[in-house]
Amino acid sequence: MSRQAPLVIDNGTGYTKMGFAGNSEPSFVFPTVIATHQSASSTSSSTGGSGSARAPPPVASKPGHLASKRGIEDLDFFIGDEAVANSKTYSLHYPIRHGQIENWDHMERFWEQCIFKYLRAEPEDHYVLLTEPPLNPPENRENTAEIMFESFNVQGLYIAVQAVLALAASWTSSKVSERTLTGVVIDSGDGVTHTIPVAEGYVIGSSIKAIPIAGRDITYFVQQLLRDRGESGAIPPEDQLKVAEKIKEDYTYVCQDIVKEFKKYDSDPYKYFARFSGEHSVTGRKYDLDIGYERFLAPEIFFNPEIYSSDFLTPLPEVVDNVIQTSPIDVRRGLYKNIVLSGGSTMFKDFGRRLQRDVKAIVDGRIAGSEVKSGGHMKSSGLEVNVISHKRQRYAVWYGGSLMASTPEFYNVSHSRVDYEEYGPSLVRRFSVFGSAT
Amino acid sequence: MPAYHSVFNEDASVRQIGNMAVLPINTKIRGPAPIASDPSEPDIIEESLDLFRANCLFRNFEIKGPADRLMIYLILFISECLTKLSPTAGRPSPSYQEASKQLSTLAVDNFALPGDAGFPLNSLYHPPASRADADALRSYLTQTRSELAQRLCDRLYPPEHQLGADGQPTGQMGPRATKPSKWWMSFQKRRFMGRSLGA
Repeated sequence: MSRQAPLVIDNGTGYTKMGFAGNSEPSFVFPTVIATHQSASSTSSSTGGSGSARAPPPVASKPGHLASKRGIEDLDFFIGDEAVANSKTYSLHYPIRHGQIENWDHMERFWEQCIFKYLRAEPEDHYVLLTEPPLNPPENRENTAEIMFESFNVQGLYIAVQAVLALAASWTSSKVSERTLTGVVIDSGDGVTHTIPVAEGYVIGSSIKAIPIAGRDITYFVQQLLRDRGESGAIPPEDQLKVAEKIKEDYTYVCQDIVKEFKKYDSDPYKYFARFSGEHSVTGRKYDLDIGYERFLAPEIFFNPEIYSSDFLTPLPEVVDNVIQTSPIDVRRGLYKNIVLSGGSTMFKDFGRRLQRDVKAIVDGRIAGSEVKSGGHMKSSGLEVNVISHKRQRYAVWYGGSLMASTPEFYNVSHSRVDYEEYGPSLVRRFSVFGSAT
Repeated sequence: MPAYHSVFNEDASVRQIGNMAVLPINTKIRGPAPIASDPSEPDIIEESLDLFRANCLFRNFEIKGPADRLMIYLILFISECLTKLSPTAGRPSPSYQEASKQLSTLAVDNFALPGDAGFPLNSLYHPPASRADADALRSYLTQTRSELAQRLCDRLYPPEHQLGADGQPTGQMGPRATKPSKWWMSFQKRRFMGRSLGA
């Protein structure tokens, strides 16, 4: 029996990436958002907590429109870009917060359209690979398995930790000589940046660090710089964020030294200052503005958070070093050797080079310090620091999933429907890791 | 990589008043400052101008020596100058000549010394030991401020590149800009260490 390609679905807080195993790019990337009618959402089986964005408490929802009278109002919803487009008449919900599923009812319906409307697959013919954030509680996994097996009747399921998949994706880089599942993953999306140490496929949960600086903050910082310079007068107010985002994506890079970079701009302004032309999204009026120092200052907030935020001050290289230093001593060498980037906000030009240089400086400084303290009796053989950046960085987690799910081994490690019927949802509390000996 | 420090911190031979260094500068303005031995080497004023844009992004700064204290003072003075030149309602930014006049006046204007009530960084600076020292410091700073104001003007109003017919620079320099460079003025709202000399 030939098998259909497994479905690979990576649900992130901001975006959902999905497609079929074996492909090099996800078939669909759209916001993880669902648009429902207000009345329908009051039946949601949410886990409580942050309720500000959710519907009001269930006060006997009135059947307001025709569809609800026929009892099919729960089919009346959109996901992804369609949801955003319909945000005027529907209310938007974000079922995932901080990487974890918060609203299972919405999530189930979200998956429903993912599979049937977008991927157009029959779930009973496919294995499914889903992703989870590190430190996801086992109860969440059980819920996920329950939905996948009982609502969708999938053939088999594997829930992989995002960081591990990002490590696997880095195997495509030419810098990687051996395929190991030991390394530090720096995963920076829109909302938050995580540094996650992974040893032989297992996440070292106690050493994970979150940094409250990510893509959105860089956009805000670009916006702030434009405003300081009086550039934003030219931009229509409703386009400001979009313009800042565009500048961030198209013009920025990481510099090696701010002062030297300022001097470069002084001595050769025509080479470095750029001009941005935009068009008013409604009226079509043209406008343009100068782009200057934000080109290198924007990503600089990873390396000098001080210039942007007043409450988080630790530079990224220092965080990475701390993460590795708090990990078990026998894996530290492996972690320094394999620092892997993942997510859209690590895509800045030379980001990896700068990070490698700064981490290396910290490490070398410490080694030199202890050599001096030993009174010259000890000599270090040095420590290898490697930051891996590769072509698949933007959707690294998804790509790693695609890679894993296309191996024959995938079918051995995932849980099949038969197993689920035998053991029930608690089955997914145990997972074997790819590449491990068992 | 935290904020940038002065390279003159290491120089132990420099005279200090309070705990601020009195570094040699290159200047034609008369005053008590020691004359730099090599005029082609950048002095503390040049350094402050170079580091201004980078450092005023930072709110925290660890003082590593007496030269840092002088540099902080100069950077804060640059901020004050930019504020002075920024356009307000009904008063556009001045031209080069006017700006250099305004800043020269500002430079010799009465200002607070370490230890005075109006000085913003009194917790980090020692007051001058004696009356004579205070006078010496005041005249040194006046001279440095004047020189700085001159050089700042030159940077704020750079000669504009002449453009050829194709819109590309021809390599020739035209007359000075008529407005202060927005690439500098945009740093006016940023406060190095969250301080300013004015308030």
